[in-house]
Amino acid sequence: MAVAEHAHAEHSHHVKLVYQPALPLPNGKLFMWLFLSTEIMFFAALIGVYIVIRFGAPAWPLPHHVHLVEVIGFVNTFVLICSSVTIVLCLEAAKANKPGMAKLFIVLTLLLGSIFLGIKGFEYKSKFDHGIYPRQPRSAIHERANIYFASAVRVRLREGKDKVDAILAETPADEEGQHQQENLRRVIAIANDPQAKPLQLHEMAQFILPTHDLPGEHEIGLNDFYHGLNLPMVIPGGNMWASTYFVLTGFHAIHVLVGLIVFALMVPMTLGLRRTVFIENIGLYWHFVDLVWIFLFPLLYLF
Amino acid sequence: MNSHGHGDPQGGHATPTAHADHGGIGKYLAVFVALCVLSSASFFTVSDTWRGLFKNDPAFGHHVAWAFMMAVSCGKALLVVLFFMHVKYEASWKYVLTIPASIMAIFLGLALVPDVGLRRRTYSPQRDFFAAQPISHQADEAHLPVD
Repeated sequence: MAVAEHAHAEHSHHVKLVYQPALPLPNGKLFMWLFLSTEIMFFAALIGVYIVIRFGAPAWPLPHHVHLVEVIGFVNTFVLICSSVTIVLCLEAAKANKPGMAKLFIVLTLLLGSIFLGIKGFEYKSKFDHGIYPRQPRSAIHERANIYFASAVRVRLREGKDKVDAILAETPADEEGQHQQENLRRVIAIANDPQAKPLQLHEMAQFILPTHDLPGEHEIGLNDFYHGLNLPMVIPGGNMWASTYFVLTGFHAIHVLVGLIVFALMVPMTLGLRRTVFIENIGLYWHFVDLVWIFLFPLLYLF
Repeated sequence: MNSHGHGDPQGGHATPTAHADHGGIGKYLAVFVALCVLSSASFFTVSDTWRGLFKNDPAFGHHVAWAFMMAVSCGKALLVVLFFMHVKYEASWKYVLTIPASIMAIFLGLALVPDVGLRRRTYSPQRDFFAAQPISHQADEAHLPVD
């Protein structure tokens, strides 16, 4: 009897034992954080490389030389901050078991993320339109106004002969047009002069893309005035700028795209209490994407 | 297994939702406003007002702007991590994941300095001849005045 009682006591004691997880968080969240810590190192490497390249570079272009508009970057920062707020409000709605509200916020987040990517695409297009991108065998960006630059201009003038002839044939509407037409004539003359001096080559580069101007004010060159002319240009540090810009914003855009795909998959779901851990995890990922942009915006647009 | 759900009462402490008192829409909106203000502060460094402040020494103005923007970015990052990612309310496991990753990230950056940051020191004369050069140098070569 006593033994049985003892066994019973022991049994009930055993039942009282509670399972303690190693870490006080769900598995999914743990893995998301582990993933994010690898992501921290991934972007730290990219951003670190950018910083040492940028500050070790002998020359770096001003934003308007590479058609970078600071305000657009600022708007994108704002859009991404808003999307961070909507995803956190989505989580709050799910915790309060309001699936309708949560769905509204996830749709808003999806929309804001799409706006971000749309603006990014618009920015990329303005770079591509002006020939600012890495390509083989070499880009249209030259580091110095040397004989290689002159020969590239010559080749391009020959390729776009129809366009050049059309520009030279038309009567300029105003003084600016006349000025630019005159500049184009001088560029043709310098490019075709095998005896051109460094001074003249430098002058030619300035006609195509003026880089002497002070920050804040800039003159218009031939490439801006005549769309589709696309003459090779001299932008010191421009090639390295293009490489780092497209790598950093490209990897960031891929992360945004992945987030948007997940949001799109979440739209048909019932985002109630049962989904809170899932929403929290995708929220963590999305905040991280926002976090990366917080550093990319000043580094790429304002430095 | 340990697929303990949300709001799991067992253990009585430090469960995922034991921090139900945090957050609140008011706090999120306050963080949002702070983020907007800080972003505008960064953007202010490219304004004419900022340039006017450092009219006499634009190079110094740039350095101050860089330091200022990085400080602002770190502040913004901290706000996002602490409040939006709820790290402020997490148990101490957060240090295990974030501190080593951050230290590795910093060392990664530093490790790049000798080979990448100081790469121009080991350029051959031929390599240097084709390297990018600031506009002012090119103008010097061509004897052009630069403003």
